[in-house]
Amino acid sequence: MKSFALFAATAALLLPLTGCQTNVNTVSRAEPLARPTLVNDKRVVTDRSLGELIGVVSVNETIVSGNLRKVQVTLENLRDNNREIRYRFEWFDQDGMAVGGVSELWLPLVLAGRETRSVSTVATSPRAADFTLKIVEGK
Amino acid sequence: MNSPLRRFSVVSLLAAGLLSLSGCQTPRDAKYIESGGASTVVTLDQINIQDWNRAADAMVASLLSSGVLERVPEQPAVLAISRIVNNTQQQVDTDSLTKKIRVALNQSGKVITTTTLGLGGKVEDPLAKESAEMAAMMAGQKQVTRLPYYTLSGKLLEDRAQAGKVKQVTYTFQLSLTTVKDGLAVWEEEKQITKQGTRSSVGW
Repeated sequence: MKSFALFAATAALLLPLTGCQTNVNTVSRAEPLARPTLVNDKRVVTDRSLGELIGVVSVNETIVSGNLRKVQVTLENLRDNNREIRYRFEWFDQDGMAVGGVSELWLPLVLAGRETRSVSTVATSPRAADFTLKIVEGK
Repeated sequence: MNSPLRRFSVVSLLAAGLLSLSGCQTPRDAKYIESGGASTVVTLDQINIQDWNRAADAMVASLLSSGVLERVPEQPAVLAISRIVNNTQQQVDTDSLTKKIRVALNQSGKVITTTTLGLGGKVEDPLAKESAEMAAMMAGQKQVTRLPYYTLSGKLLEDRAQAGKVKQVTYTFQLSLTTVKDGLAVWEEEKQITKQGTRSSVGW
């Protein structure tokens, strides 16, 4: 038991040295010039622990190439530790049918402590009307 | 055995038991998984299916967001696939990248790819070309081939580094979209994918 306690104490001391706690400081324009089109979103949280680790700051969309939707979701790591997640966008048409396409794949993302990052996707079909972003914890 | 240690052992055993039920263990028996999904094998010595998918996704998003396809006088623009140079150590079929991009562009309605015009006369669909020639000959007309408005060319690069037992490989995917009439690259993109580790793994 004594050796276990010693191991735990050593691990606790070494953990901060492993580089897992790299927080991000940021600076940006106080009055942003951008006027994004924000989307009111609905969130379904089935993994409460992940919901407490990663926050959704904003969702905005635009039209590219004339008639294709592009959405961007800004995510925030709510903790001090590096956090690895996987995310995936899915598109649906006006009738709620899945559109599919090459953009629908799981992608990895590593967020440093307290970092805010944006992930985006472009619908490859003009039929795409609605989207879903799925987020799961990384390996 | 003292009480806290016994409690720790019991907790450890319970945790191990629960973990085996959670589906996180490495599979031994063959099973179907999602192609390019989070359960796919990650290796350091080759471009994996998820790498092709990620590169194609990034390229398509960049091209569609660039706005160049809106400036085409007649939509959909005709695209021909030019040379994709493979400068990696492995033998790859560059269709793993270009086909995904072609499919996405086709779905968008902005671009269609010609299959009867190819680099060095090598066409993707020789039967379609021969049939068109035959039909034109039978009709006593000269065959009219719609020439491409754009060509897609590119290069695959590989960079390797090692620190002790840790290996790192970076695959660089470069693509250029050139307007045929003036030979100018109107869109260019580069996507890098880096993998690091000591050995291959299942899942990422």
